Amino acid sequence: MKVSFNWLKRYVDIDVTPEVLCDKMTMSGFEVEEMIDLSASMDRVVVGKVLQMEHHPDADKLWVCQIDVGEEESVQIITGAQNVFEGALVPCALHDSHLPNGVHIKKGKLRGLPSNGMMCSGEELCLSENDYPGAGVHGILILEGDWKPGTDMRDVLGMNDVIIDFSILSNRPDCNSVIGIAREVAVVLGKEFKAPVVSYETRSGDIHNDIDIRVEDFDLCPRYVGRVVKNLRIGPSPEWMKECLRSAGVRSINNIVDITNFVMLETGQPMHAYDLRYVKGHQIVVRRAHEGEIMKTLDDKEHTLTGDMLVIADAENPSCLAGIMGSLHSEIEPDTTELLFETAKFRRDNIRRTARALGMRTESSARFEKGTDIMNCSYAMDRALSLVQELDCGDIVEGTIDVNNGLPEERTIHTSVSAILALLGVEIPTETVVLILNSLHLASTLGEDGDSLSVKVPSYRDDVESRADLAEEVMRIYGYEHIVSTPIKGVVIRGKKLPERIASDTIKALLVGESMREITTYSFISSKSCDLLSLPEDDVRRKAVSLLNPLGEEYSTMRTQLISSMASVLATNISRKNPAGRFFEVSKLFLPKALPLTEQPEEVPALSLGLYGEGEDFFSLKGIVEMIFTRCRMDVSYARADEPFLHPGRQAKILYKDQLIGVMGELHPLTAEKFGIEGRAYVAELRLETLYAALEAQRTFYAPLPRHPASVRDLSILADADMPVAEIEAAIRKGAGKVLEKLKLFDVYQGRQVPDGKKSVSYSLTLRAPDRTLTVEECDKTMAKVLKALEEIGISMRS
Amino acid sequence: MSIREQLEQIKKDGLRELENFADAKELDNIRVRYLGKKGELTAILKQMGKLSAEERPIVGQAANEVRQALENAVQKSVERLKEKELAHRLASETVDVTLPGKSEPLGGLHPLSIVQNELIDIFQSMGFDIVDGPEVETDYYCFEALNVPKDHPARDMQDTFYLGDNLLLRTQTSAAQARVMEKRNPPIRIVCPGRVYRADEVDATHSPVFHQMEGLVVDKGITMCDLKGCLEQFAHEIYGPETKVRFRPSFFPFTEPSVEVDVSCSECGGKGCRICKGTGWIEILGAGMVHPNVLRGCGIDPDVYSGFAFGIGLDRLTTTRYRISDIRLLFENDERFLDQFQGK
Repeated sequence: MKVSFNWLKRYVDIDVTPEVLCDKMTMSGFEVEEMIDLSASMDRVVVGKVLQMEHHPDADKLWVCQIDVGEEESVQIITGAQNVFEGALVPCALHDSHLPNGVHIKKGKLRGLPSNGMMCSGEELCLSENDYPGAGVHGILILEGDWKPGTDMRDVLGMNDVIIDFSILSNRPDCNSVIGIAREVAVVLGKEFKAPVVSYETRSGDIHNDIDIRVEDFDLCPRYVGRVVKNLRIGPSPEWMKECLRSAGVRSINNIVDITNFVMLETGQPMHAYDLRYVKGHQIVVRRAHEGEIMKTLDDKEHTLTGDMLVIADAENPSCLAGIMGSLHSEIEPDTTELLFETAKFRRDNIRRTARALGMRTESSARFEKGTDIMNCSYAMDRALSLVQELDCGDIVEGTIDVNNGLPEERTIHTSVSAILALLGVEIPTETVVLILNSLHLASTLGEDGDSLSVKVPSYRDDVESRADLAEEVMRIYGYEHIVSTPIKGVVIRGKKLPERIASDTIKALLVGESMREITTYSFISSKSCDLLSLPEDDVRRKAVSLLNPLGEEYSTMRTQLISSMASVLATNISRKNPAGRFFEVSKLFLPKALPLTEQPEEVPALSLGLYGEGEDFFSLKGIVEMIFTRCRMDVSYARADEPFLHPGRQAKILYKDQLIGVMGELHPLTAEKFGIEGRAYVAELRLETLYAALEAQRTFYAPLPRHPASVRDLSILADADMPVAEIEAAIRKGAGKVLEKLKLFDVYQGRQVPDGKKSVSYSLTLRAPDRTLTVEECDKTMAKVLKALEEIGISMRS
Repeated sequence: MSIREQLEQIKKDGLRELENFADAKELDNIRVRYLGKKGELTAILKQMGKLSAEERPIVGQAANEVRQALENAVQKSVERLKEKELAHRLASETVDVTLPGKSEPLGGLHPLSIVQNELIDIFQSMGFDIVDGPEVETDYYCFEALNVPKDHPARDMQDTFYLGDNLLLRTQTSAAQARVMEKRNPPIRIVCPGRVYRADEVDATHSPVFHQMEGLVVDKGITMCDLKGCLEQFAHEIYGPETKVRFRPSFFPFTEPSVEVDVSCSECGGKGCRICKGTGWIEILGAGMVHPNVLRGCGIDPDVYSGFAFGIGLDRLTTTRYRISDIRLLFENDERFLDQFQGK
């Protein structure tokens, strides 16, 4: 809410600087977004009267002017503008002056003749036609009125003012008005708030002869107040009102339109004025629009309305989109003679939805959306009529039509000073509490016990409901600096982390130790991600939750896998020529129980890994995966997998107790290409629930160190090239039995000296018994059993 | 030459040769030549038989002395040789200590995680449990239970992503408040860190996905002074022990009174600088006393219990902490960006 300092002074005797006021208001809950000193942008620009004009002797198009700038001697200024005339009042920038557009004016010479300043155009003063009539004209701004030469242009333009932009919290819609702000200003300055005087006299007539008002939908319009003014004398508004409007960025149109805008800005209650000539059937009907009803608004746009939008109609057509904008042709025009003023209360969510649906936002709709005070309808109307009388722009017809469905009664809160202070934890004298509440127009009466309190709440403060609200009101005025710090009361308890968080921290620390960097990506991804991964139509990961109102297709689906986010991060890094990268992300998968969504989806914790760069291959990825499972002490197995987005020969699924818990491999070249990844990249995704459970259940007990020496035997065998070593190892373990302490693969070789279609695989076996030293014979026997087990799966010793 | 003279000669020659040899092989040759089974000393001893019985012990003793002297000299030479060889080896093994070491690059947590973990540690040490809540929330827990009725303009403060009629992506970690209060009885002391969503277009200061940490304390006799004490302790941990905390009135539907919390600018100590835009204060979070309607809705009697709640924006804390100019950098995950965050 932008408020002019000068306008505020109409209601409060402000005796502090704008800066001090801003500080005080900020600390009482009205944060200042911006303070604009209008006068700072311009100086030494004054009203000048053109006394004499002559052609420049050396330039046809230049005029040599003698200007009265209010000093003893006139000033010579040379101009190229052709709209200046003798006797004209013009803005005159003197030597060493500053213009709002940043230009610094100094005296100089033009074609040999001295020019001691500059006459200004509207543009040079940063004025539009909106700000000052004639400002849009090409040439020098010709001033209206009868200004004395030498008058500071800032006075002419109402620039000796400071505009303060207050941020209004959403519980204080009453402060979207100058009066609302002024009430607060009065409290923080300890001054009296002087409400504008409301008084007017009615002339003859009876409103009921002129108009009939009917509200069909009280749920959307709980109150509608109408008054009629006749014998309109439409003309310009007085300067003070124009200045007020200008300070709020509102263009002055004529006295009647200006009154409606002024009253809205001053009281916060939007108003509308209808030209009675165009109200057909002498009837105003507040109703829901007919489905598909067409209406053209003031801004010349045509809208198709729906049945949940509220309109103010005459006997035939909508005249106004309730609370938002009037129809074309319902405007007050220079020849309007009779009008109907409207002040109403509209339901805020309805206005919000209509305004959004039609893409319209006006000063009026903004106020209705934030909430207006139903009791303010009559006050705003009276204020408008007072102004009609003050500006003498019409005759007020006797009678008010006030259609409502019952008005709320005054609310009283019963509480006690001690209950209020109990929330705050500070000692504030009872009298001070009562004083503060009363200054805020929260009329408070202390009970006989000196503690109980009854507080009458004005209708515009429907945010004040309980002692908690009163506590806030007291504290924000008393000053939050009085809140002192105390340690939290209560028994000392130890904070705990959830086991899942402890487990995830463990895994993250492990990965960081493997030179991996944690990434953070959005939880919603493109709906096309599954296509990028070439997932089949019936893949369960395609059953994803969609956002109803996504920011765009690229953020439209809650992810069911982390691979595509990881692939995008790899692509970003590769495209930026980062030579290598190791990344991980711990995040959630959103798995719907049913679609369309009827209940919250499962949020499953998952881990993704991604690697690229020199030295990375399937096995560097697998090494990391294995390390995680070693830490979790989970005995997982790996088997060939068939994910379409992974290299068919370089991918594995990870199984734990026959349950699929992850997949890993090299990105399929076609998938990599789709993501824009050049070269090879490796990705993995693990579901974390079982890992978390394993880590949580982990208990460590010491195992005695071996007392007897081990025997180490090496074994080289020839196997079919495509036989997984997992099968070989299973056979070795089976053959060796319990004495096999450790089995370590140390070489796999294909090439010279190995027959085609075969591979040489070499193991080191550590044999040990807990209770004795194994004899050579025992070891030989074990190795023989191993060989026999290997023979059973068709494997022979390498000779 | 008598035997004794011969012995003396051998001793003299041997010792001389042992003074001056080239390498281990030559040393061994010398040793064999003088002391070996076929060596000079043995040859002399073989002549002992020719001596008289009186001379024999005397010459024998002399021969032993010569052997002893030669053996000692050999031993010393071996040691000298070892020392020499070691010195030579060490000299030849000198490395350029300024060459880089063998190591794997450092990994690291995301800056958001680093900051979040730090906050978790602080609040855990203050007795707060760390809890989690679902990111897909019901309208009830995200709004209704937090005293935000359907038509309330507060819902305009945050444009919400909807997934279904009644389901949405939580706009605030405060959504966890009611869930906790329904399940636990006071005293309650929790923080809930996590991911939240708002329909903000992406720019340098806005992200539709961001992170918060909600704090909630409910007990008998909790006041705004406790809130200030708690946040002051937090601010001292994060920004340093000199940091001052200031409350400014604000509005949130689920707290009453509500405050914005500012800390004195740690850069300029409150004098005003570029970081604090000249005000001396930096806004860090919103807080307040839990609204009686919220307590009541969760079955907690507001006339018996009171509490406070606060919500910290982790992304903002992270960007200000590390002077990150654009929030989008947090979600781009450029390796060169992530590489910069190893600690405070």
